[in-house]
Parts: sequence; C-alpha cells; structure tokens
Amino acid sequence: MQKIFFLFLFLIGNTFLNKINSQTNSQQGIRTNKSTVFALKNATIVQSPTKTILNGILLIHNGVIENVGENISIPNDAFVIDLKGKTIYPGFIESYSIVEQKEKNKSPQQQQSPSTNAIYWNKKVLSHKNVLEEFSKDENKFNELRKLGFTSALFILQKGNIKGTSALLNLNEETEIPNLVIRENVFMHSTLKVENVEGENYPNSNMGVISLLRQTLYDAIWYKDAKLFSEKNSLKPIEINNSLESLQNVIQKKQPFVIETSNHLEVFRAKKIADEFNLNLILLGSGNEYKRIDAIKNLKTQFILPLNFPKTPNVDTYEKSLDIDVSELLHWEYASENPKIFFQNGIEFSLTSQNSKNDFFKNLKLAIKKGLPENIALSSLTTVPAKMLNVEKILGTVEKGKIANLIVSNGNIFSNGKILSVWVEGKEFEIEKEKNLSVCGIWKLNSNETLLENFFIEIKFKEENFSANISKNDSIQNSIKAKISINNTLSSISFDGDSIDVKGKILLDGTFSQNNFFGTLQLPNGKILFLNGKKISEPKIEFDSSKKEIEISLTSFPITFPMTAFGKDKFPEQVEYIFINDATIWTSSLLGKIENGDIIIHKGKIKEIGKDLSKPKNSFVIEANGKHITSGLIDCHSHSAVSGSVNETGQIITSEVRIGDVIDSEDISIYRELAGGVTTINALHGSANSIGGQNQVIKLRWGFLPDEMKFENAKEGIKFALGENPKHSNWGENNSNHFPQSRMGVNELIRSEFKAAIDYKLSFQNRSEKQFPIRRDLELDAIVEILDGKRLVHCHSYRQDEILAMIRVAEEFNFRIATFQHILEGYKVATEMANHKVGASTFSDWWAYKYEVVDAIPFNGTMMHNEGIVVSFNSDSDEMARRLNTEAAKAVKYGNLSEEEALNFVTINPAKQLQIDNRVGSLEIGKDADFVVWNGNPLSTYSICEQTWIDGKKFFDIEENKILNQKIQEVRSTLIQKILNEKNK
Amino acid sequence: MKKNFILFLFFVKIIFCNDQIPAKKQIKPIAIINGTVFTANEIIEKGTITFRNGKIEFVGKNFSLTSEYEIIDASGKHIYPGLFSSITTLGLNEVQALRATHDNVEGGKFNPNLKTEVAVYTESELIPVTRFNGITTVNVLPQSGIISGSIATVNLDGWTYEDMLVKSMSAMVLNFPSMKINTAWWETRSEEDQKKENEKSVNELQIFFKDAKAYFVAKKNNSLQKYDAKFDAMINVFEKKVPLLVWAFDILQIQSAVAFAEEYDVRIIIAGGNDSWRIANLLKEKQIPVVANMTHRLPDRNWEQYNEPFLLPKKLYENGIQFCFSADEGGDGNYRNLPYQVGTAIAHGLPKDIALKSITLFPAQIFGVDNRIGSLEIGKDANLIIVNGDIFDIRSNVEMEFIDGKKIDLTSHQTMLYEKYKKDMRNKNLFV
Repeated sequence: MQKIFFLFLFLIGNTFLNKINSQTNSQQGIRTNKSTVFALKNATIVQSPTKTILNGILLIHNGVIENVGENISIPNDAFVIDLKGKTIYPGFIESYSIVEQKEKNKSPQQQQSPSTNAIYWNKKVLSHKNVLEEFSKDENKFNELRKLGFTSALFILQKGNIKGTSALLNLNEETEIPNLVIRENVFMHSTLKVENVEGENYPNSNMGVISLLRQTLYDAIWYKDAKLFSEKNSLKPIEINNSLESLQNVIQKKQPFVIETSNHLEVFRAKKIADEFNLNLILLGSGNEYKRIDAIKNLKTQFILPLNFPKTPNVDTYEKSLDIDVSELLHWEYASENPKIFFQNGIEFSLTSQNSKNDFFKNLKLAIKKGLPENIALSSLTTVPAKMLNVEKILGTVEKGKIANLIVSNGNIFSNGKILSVWVEGKEFEIEKEKNLSVCGIWKLNSNETLLENFFIEIKFKEENFSANISKNDSIQNSIKAKISINNTLSSISFDGDSIDVKGKILLDGTFSQNNFFGTLQLPNGKILFLNGKKISEPKIEFDSSKKEIEISLTSFPITFPMTAFGKDKFPEQVEYIFINDATIWTSSLLGKIENGDIIIHKGKIKEIGKDLSKPKNSFVIEANGKHITSGLIDCHSHSAVSGSVNETGQIITSEVRIGDVIDSEDISIYRELAGGVTTINALHGSANSIGGQNQVIKLRWGFLPDEMKFENAKEGIKFALGENPKHSNWGENNSNHFPQSRMGVNELIRSEFKAAIDYKLSFQNRSEKQFPIRRDLELDAIVEILDGKRLVHCHSYRQDEILAMIRVAEEFNFRIATFQHILEGYKVATEMANHKVGASTFSDWWAYKYEVVDAIPFNGTMMHNEGIVVSFNSDSDEMARRLNTEAAKAVKYGNLSEEEALNFVTINPAKQLQIDNRVGSLEIGKDADFVVWNGNPLSTYSICEQTWIDGKKFFDIEENKILNQKIQEVRSTLIQKILNEKNK
Repeated sequence: MKKNFILFLFFVKIIFCNDQIPAKKQIKPIAIINGTVFTANEIIEKGTITFRNGKIEFVGKNFSLTSEYEIIDASGKHIYPGLFSSITTLGLNEVQALRATHDNVEGGKFNPNLKTEVAVYTESELIPVTRFNGITTVNVLPQSGIISGSIATVNLDGWTYEDMLVKSMSAMVLNFPSMKINTAWWETRSEEDQKKENEKSVNELQIFFKDAKAYFVAKKNNSLQKYDAKFDAMINVFEKKVPLLVWAFDILQIQSAVAFAEEYDVRIIIAGGNDSWRIANLLKEKQIPVVANMTHRLPDRNWEQYNEPFLLPKKLYENGIQFCFSADEGGDGNYRNLPYQVGTAIAHGLPKDIALKSITLFPAQIFGVDNRIGSLEIGKDANLIIVNGDIFDIRSNVEMEFIDGKKIDLTSHQTMLYEKYKKDMRNKNLFV
C-alpha cells in the first residue's frame, strides 16, 4: 500500500503530461490536429499571490504552461490570442465539493445477498468508498464551478459519518474521468453531524457520532495489529475488512483526515479526536470560528472555510424582530469578517464555495471589503489548497511546468472584473462573452424608402443590459423605447412604429461594425426595407448614481464569550483575596449556620471562615450585611449544556457515548442557572436505554470552552435507567417490539452486560502472546470501569421492585451504585438502599405524570434522609434548575426537615453523591470558592440570588446583568436599524 | 383477555379512587379568632371571622362570641380565602402518560356544547393533593380543537360533581389559531404549509362564528328551523353571558383575538399571554383580562431576561390590566404549587396584596363567581384556609381548610403513603 502511495506521488510529479489527451484512441474519419500550442499575449498575469507581470506572454503546450514572462518569443506554431486589457489568474482550486448522492434503487437481490465486499458493521462508516466509484461527470456541476473560476475541484461523497476518500479532478467534462484525476484517495472524510443512512439507526445523536468515530479508529488500529500478528505467525487473517483496511493510511498519518464541522465548538471536538489517534487533521469550517478564534488559533489546524454568510434576518414586523435572537443578529453582522479574522490571527485557510454556491463571489468580495487582503483571498483559492492537497508542484500558480489551469478576466476579479473564460489543462471554456459596448451611441439609419429616409436609434448599456430608443430626429427627444437584444455584433430590435409615424410594430435586424450598421427592417405591412447606418455620436459617460458603493462598516460590537446574549467581553477575574463581610453563612458543614460571619478567599479557595476575621490587605470586599451566603448549588440531574439529543437511542446499550464529548458551553441555560445560584451540574445522558451514556460533571463557567467547564478530575459516571423509559412504554403502540419490554428484560439486560464485561476483562488478562490481539470495545470498557470501581452508576428508577432488583444486580457484581435518580418510591425500600449506601437524587414533588409515579410522594426526600441515605433534590429541567433553593424548602414543608439539612439537599449532598465533596458542596477551609450571595434566607420564596461565584470568580451579578441587558437592547436596536436601512436601499 | 380487561378496570379503580371522605355539612357556626386575616381586600391583625351554614357571617374585630360557636384559636396563624386555580384539568385527567385516564380531549375542532363538569371525577387522587396546599376552587378546562367546550368552576370537595359545581360555563375555551411560523428544529412542516394551515384554521374559525351568529340572530327573531347543538351552545357567548377564554401567547395571536372579539361582539379573556405585556395599551383600552399562566417557565427567547416570566404578573399589574394567575407546573399533579409560583412573582416585584388577589379575588371576578367566592366578605361562601405562616412561602403548611363552611380532610394518597411507610409497618411486621 505504502509503495503504491509513493509511486502515485511520483506519477503526478512527472508523468501527468502523458495523459492529457488519450494517446491510444483510434482516429475516425479525416484526421484532425488541433493546435495544442497557445500564446496568450498582452495580458496582465497574476502569477501568484505575490507576483504579477503587467504585459506578459503565456505559452501553453499540451495543457501545460511552457513558459511565462514579459520577454518570451512566441513559437511559430502557436495560436496567438491577444488579451490586451485582460488579466490572467491561476485557476481556482475548489477544496471541498460534496457530491450529492441520490438513493439508488437497489434490486431486492442486491439488498439481500451477502456483500461481496467485507465492510464495517455500521452502515454510516463508509471508509471503503472512493468517490470515483460513485462519481459521474455532471456537466452542470462542472460548469457551475468553472463560472466561479474553479478549474479543479476536490470531490467528496456525501453520505455517512465516514464518507470515504476524495479525489481532485480537473473540471473538464469532455475528458473521461480517469484522465481528469489529478490525485485520488486524497483525504479521508468524516462529519460530526448526525447522518441519515438507510437501514442504520446508530448513531442518532451528536455524542453517538463521536463514539462511532472513536470505535472505528480503534478498530482500525486493532486491525493493523491483528494483521501484523497473522503475518508474523503465518496465520490466516482473523478478519478481512475493507473499511478498516481503508483507514490504515489515516491512522498511520499518511492520509489526512477531514472532519466537517457545523459550528465552532465542533472544531474542538474534532481536534480531540485527532489528538487521541494522532491524525493529520483538516477541518471543514462552519463560518463561526471567529467566535473563539483566540482558542482555535492555538490548535494549529488546517482549515477549509466556506463563505456561507447568513441571510439578512427578517425583522419585518415587531414580533418577527423580537423572535430574532441576538446571536443571529451578531452572526449576520460578523460572519463576513470570519476570513479576515483568520488572516489577522495568522491561520492559513482554503476557501470553498461549498455551502455558499451562488453567493460565493458576492460573499468573497464582501469579505474583502471587510478587510481580507486580496492576495490572501487569492492564495486561499490557489496556493493554499494546492499545498493542502499536495499538488503545489503542478497547481496553484501560473508558472512554468504547471498545469495550464487559468482564469481570464477583464479586470480585477476581486472588485469589478468579470471572469470571461477559464482554461482547464489548456482547454478554454468561455464563461461570459464580453459585451460589445461599441454598439453604444446614437446611430443614424437610412433607407431607400422616402417614408423612412432617416431615423435615429440610441443604444445604451446600463446595469448589465442594453436598451434602445428610437426617434425621428437626432435630439432623441420624444423617443420611444425599443426592445433590443444584442449578441456580439448581431442585433434584433423591435419597436412601436408611432415613433417614426408608422402604425404597427416594426422589426429591425442588423449587424454592427465599428462605425457602420447594415440591416433589414420589416414594416407592419410585411414590406422589407434595407437599411444602413452610421454612428453619429459616442455615448455620454454618465455617472451611475445607482451603483454607489454600499458603505461597509466594520462591526462596532466586541466579541463576547460566548457570542450570544449575556456573553461578556472579558473573562471573570480571580482576585487574589476576597473578603465577605458580616453575612449569614450557611456552611453546609459541621460549622452549621454562622450569623454575622466572614469568609476569606484566597486564589479561588476558601482560606478562613468564621466570625470577626481580619480583612487581608487589598481584598475585594463583599459587604454582606443582611445577606445570606451559601455554597454554590449543585444539580445532580441535569440535561443542560448538551449539544443535540441527550439520548443515543440507536442501540439499547450505549455505554460508549459520552456527554463530555458534546458539552454545549454556550447553552443559555448555563447563564440562567447561574442566576439561580447553581455552580455545578451533573449533565446526564437520557433514560431511553437501560445502560445509557457517560455523564459529565461541569462547573457553570459561562463563557469558557467545553473542556474548561469540566469539573477537574471528577470521578466519571454513567447513566442507567429502569422502568417505563428503557422499556419505551410511552413511545406509542408501534414500539412494542423493542427489547426490553418489561422490568424482567431490563434487569436481565443489565446482568448480561456485566457478565460480558467480565469475560472481556478476563480476555485481556488471560491473553497469551500466541493469541490474536483483542479488539478494544468502548462499550465494555465503560462497564469494566464500573466493575473496577472507577465509574459511578447513576440509575434512573422509580418503583421499589426495580430499585431492589438493581441493588441485587450490583451486589452480584460487587459494585456499589452511586445514586438512584428520581427514585420516587425510594421511601418504600429505604432500608435496603441505606444498606447498599446508595445516594438518592430525587424530585421534590413531581408525580402522576406516568403510571410508575402514582405513588411518588413529596415526603420521599425527608423519609429517605431519615433512614440515613444521602439525599439530594435535582431538577432534570433547565427551568427548575434555576430555583433549586426553593425546591430544597419543600423538604421542610413535607416531612419537617430542618432548614440547614434541607439546604444540604442541593449543596453538600449532591456533592457527596458525585464524589466531589472534597472540593465543593460546602463552605469549608480549603474548598473551592463556589458560593452564592442571596438577599435573604435561601429557602424563602422571596429571596433572590444576587451573585454567583465559581473558583473565586464572579460569573453572575444581578447588577452586571442589568448592564448586559442594556447591551442586548443596544445590539438589537442598532442591528435591526441597520437591517431596515439596508432593505430600504 | 376479557377477564384481564375487567381485572384491569378493577385495578385502576382501586388505584385511582381516593380514600378521603367528603366533608360533612357545617352544622355549628364556627369562629376563628386571633389570627391575621387576609380578606383579599385588607389585612386584619388579630381578627375574627365567623361563618354559619357555609356562609361568612362576620369578618373584623370585636365580635362577641356566644357559646353556640365552635371556636378555633388561630393565634400566630394566617387566614386567607381559599385559593382559586384558574386553569386545571383536575378531575378530567389522572395520569398524563395513560390515555385511558384522560377526559380533557375530544375529537373535532368545534365543540362548544361540551361541558367539563360532567366528566369531573370526584375520586381523583389529584384533588386531595391539590387541596393540601390551600386550593379550594378550580376551573376545569377542556383542551382540544379550536373551540374545546366550556369551563366549569368547581370546589374541591363533594360526593358528586354536582356537589362540587360552583358555576357551569364560566367561560368557553377558544384555542386561537397560531399566527406564527414555527422555526424550531422539530417542526417538520414547511413555512408555506404552516402558513396555509394557520390561514385555514382562522378561516374555519370565521366560518363557524358566522354560522353560529346567523343561528343566534335567527333564534332571536324566532325564525329558527332546526336545533343545532353546537350553535345553540354559542348563544350564551353572543349574549355575552359567557366569555371566551382565548389561549394566545404571541402578539399577533393576541391582536387577532382582540380584533375577532370586536368583529363578533363577544367578551374575551386572554389565557397564557406571555407577550401580552408588550401590547398592554391595547388590552387596557379594550378592558380585556389576562390569565397569566406560570412564572415557573423559561423565557420564550434566549435574549430575554432570565426572570422575564417571573415579571409577567408585575408588568400586567403595573400596566393596569385586569389579570389573574394560574399555574400548571409539572402537569396535572402539581397545581398545588400555585402559591409558590406567585411567590416568585413577589420576589421579583409584584406587591403581596396583588399577588394574593391574583389567586383569589381576581379569578373570581374574571370568571364571574365573585358574588360567592374570592374574598373573605360577609355573605360569601366560607371557603378559607388557616396557614401556619405565609401562604406564599413553601415552608408554610395549611392546617385547616373550609369549603362552604365544611371542614376539609387534608389527607391524601400521598399523606397516607407517608403515614404507612413512616410508621414502617413493614419493619414492625418483620422484626416484632
């Protein structure tokens, strides 16, 4: 394989000349020998982004640039084309052109027969595909690309999460595909989007996609090892798999791996995958990267950027304008600056017309007006993609020896110039005929008929169109508008005879030359007259006021973190010392509630807590007289801050998927929850599967990146689920084939998975050198981690029977369940739960929404607590999460728990359950300075959260919130005005 | 199979039948003394309230008690009118996920002749749970189609729905067609299709009202040919005896509903009304009341203030709009959290006295039952609660509750399970 690869490079370096015209074709009829030597002279030649010659000559021989320069002798056999006033550019390279794949109607036989191709189990992994196999030349597509100046393009298949390899082709549909190929197997392509592939339901979530990519790449590595093993030991290969075979170059870093992203957060996700497998990563950008360019810059990754600027938002009515989000307005304002911002940050990129299509040039010019230098625009379409595609020796510039892929324009194509033609391998494709403006002016026409001895026609060219007026005298007053079409020198004109005192319509055809006109005129009565004419005046040069440049103003709003409503333009600072003075402190610890207490915070940690502390010098002081301070609230069951679905329902066990892969750090819920005093949440997978995905504990560090939000070294966990949800009981009658359908099935499914995990674990331990390497299974890895006590189980549960049965499963496999979630009948088996030392994370008072919760009672929390169980109240809701403090008050109401114990339900207890209580959950010396300032007793309905701090940094402040709100109103009114002004232009 | 089915019905019956015995009629006059009385109009410290035969007899100070009174000493307690929840499906629905337990939805788009009271199941386990937090009266709403049917106002106690009924046809529910294009990711219809569907619904509504009005006019002129149940049910609406409760959240929807009301000369109440404060002038001018539903919901738009929903009651109040408050947090089971949802509005600026009115007197006025309930006034029904603290504070508990002067059992399925497992019969059985 490797050999072939090098051979291939060699081929493209040296022998591509041979394939330009088929050498072996049999000639039919009279032999033709078109000239293959061209000399383009008198042109301005932009050879490369850095080199332009003003009056150059370009020699093309057999599709290759033979020479280029100012003083070059033109060979005698050359076909000379005078390009005076024209400009030659290197042909653009389209670095991302997705080939639309239509569903083929397969015959039933094809569908049933076992594939002759041994491929991957998951139909969304199509790494074995080569775009050339499914590619058919599409004249329209080629033409569309050529119109934009592209002369070669990288084609990529559309389907699947791994899409197979791409090929770089010259855009000449008149040649057979194999002869168009400049390079094949260029990149391996993939996407983080959820893809629809017929007959494959997994993955159907964003996190599932990442898991599938990881599993596939691990499989490719295992495949390599297994193959080596069989070769070394002269054994029959354990498995032949073309999909994994095709990934060998990727995992050995010989072939770049492209990941398509649909937002800037996916950039970081893609990078993590690439780092895990040491891949040569290229990213298809989304156009949102400017939002976190500060961090993207550090990734040192290659980018292909689309110019997909958003449509102007619709603000036609008051209500519509309300419904436009601030992030949408800001993106509309900013998107066109994305390429410039890349440039300013020193990140090299290719540009693609993918996802912008017809707006490509319009958007490119806008990007340039917003500050993208023209030479960077040019390089991003020529030299940069040439380098990225490893064809810089043959493409990308107008230089001797390179393929004659060119653009010919009538001026600077980045401002007013138009592309007249492109050359692909020495073959010219006309894009646009230059308009013959010499027809413009006033012409006097004569016929031999007395009736029409003289009349006048004025031809104008305005806004890309010709127009004509006819009149009896040369003043062109009282003229009548005529219909005119002009094709180079030929014209056809029709007009109303009134203007020259004839009743009826008159048709006029003719030919213009420099100053003469010859033509025929058909009168209404059918009579034909012969005409000739002379130009009597040149057109007046009019100042075209309608074409006034639209003023381009750079945005006046700063980048905020995140780039949404309530984003801030600065990250919160950690001051060295914070002094909280004279507060009622709910410590959630043995210290209890301290009246008139003080807290000293040093570098994000609590240093001292007590009464009458002395304020360190240069402290930031929080005057808290009358205020209450609690530890930051912790939500032990949340689905906030997750991109896409929180359930991966494509398989019934999905322990391989990880919420941590898809943290949405820009979810507005984060800010809203901060405003309710929440500082840490346990972001959980949903409950559609008995064994769901891995959870992620995060701190709500609003404005930070996903990985920066993750709670450092928090013990990892996983979601389990019992009862109606994993049974899919409430999914409608059509879902009665699903396994499991019963609590029996749920229980046994979990048991058997643990058995499998034990076997899996043993297979590693017992493997001898003589056995094949064992495939790493991400699903079972997670289960083994549970068995090893490295992964916490958070088990969604309601009914006492399922709770008890799950405890027995855990006992059988000798692990302890960390929490039962919801656990609404926990009070019925509290003794067993207490014995198992499992935590209970429950709703305060939800019930009656489905059959398994008819016995849910709000006293549950207190009752379990009284039995010695660590109890927390959770939200499972972006809304309720904002008022966990008053949820805690329900433990006082129902069951008469003490206020301090009740508050613990949302502070130290969830921290214990998540095993992060060494750092958060209470206000104690040495712990993280995660705290909330309330304007009254936190359990009172009337109290409001005024400030929320994490790690000694202030992430929410009710006063700052007012300022942020003002800014939102400012952004809204300014940009809506701007949109309205633009529309009225 | 059949056996199973019957068994199932039996089973459901056992599960969904509450054990609380409806209260006995008031025999002795009752005097509650020494409490802080919140009449909904004023606060009387150390006040006295007496009621006889289910009606309030006295509210104030300096009442000379006689021995015929049963005296309840409410020192340190708060006394409020029974709370009124304007939007519920209590008695109609039991378990959200079980369709067989739903009676709030009917087929067809126009069902003005449906009346909810006939489907109110007095045995619903949800009723005692709702009463537990001081809610004595609720509106029961039908929910489907464009005109869903009429609302019944019921007290939460009685052997039959007739015992419970305070008023039939308190309002007619109209789900005003959406005027908005939904752009959420889960919306599968195209913008065009949505527009068409919206227009179609508005059109259907217009046609129905035109026909109904023609029927009304014909009947008034005694020129009517045949009885039409649906149109006949609309007569009260055209006579303005029954207002339309119009579900409308968006600005366009609310504006259209107001225009619609003008066109057909009917009374309307806006329900939901998340954006109603943005067109406060219109609603004030036309004197259209709003049922603000829920503070415990998320802002409709990402750029809105985190507390935007918390502010709705306050904004309606400050703009001089007649309003009341309702809450259906977490579905049918949690109407009980009504006072705490208003409590959140208080935390964000709604005056306390207005908050109390918004769940007592205001809904009574809006739904035309203020002659009987909504405040503690002489002659009104003795619907009242005694609370060991502030009713808006979660930590408080209702200690006594009266409906029509009857002393209500505050236990429920939930408190019974609490008692059962708190006493831990199980462990006693095991170890004794």
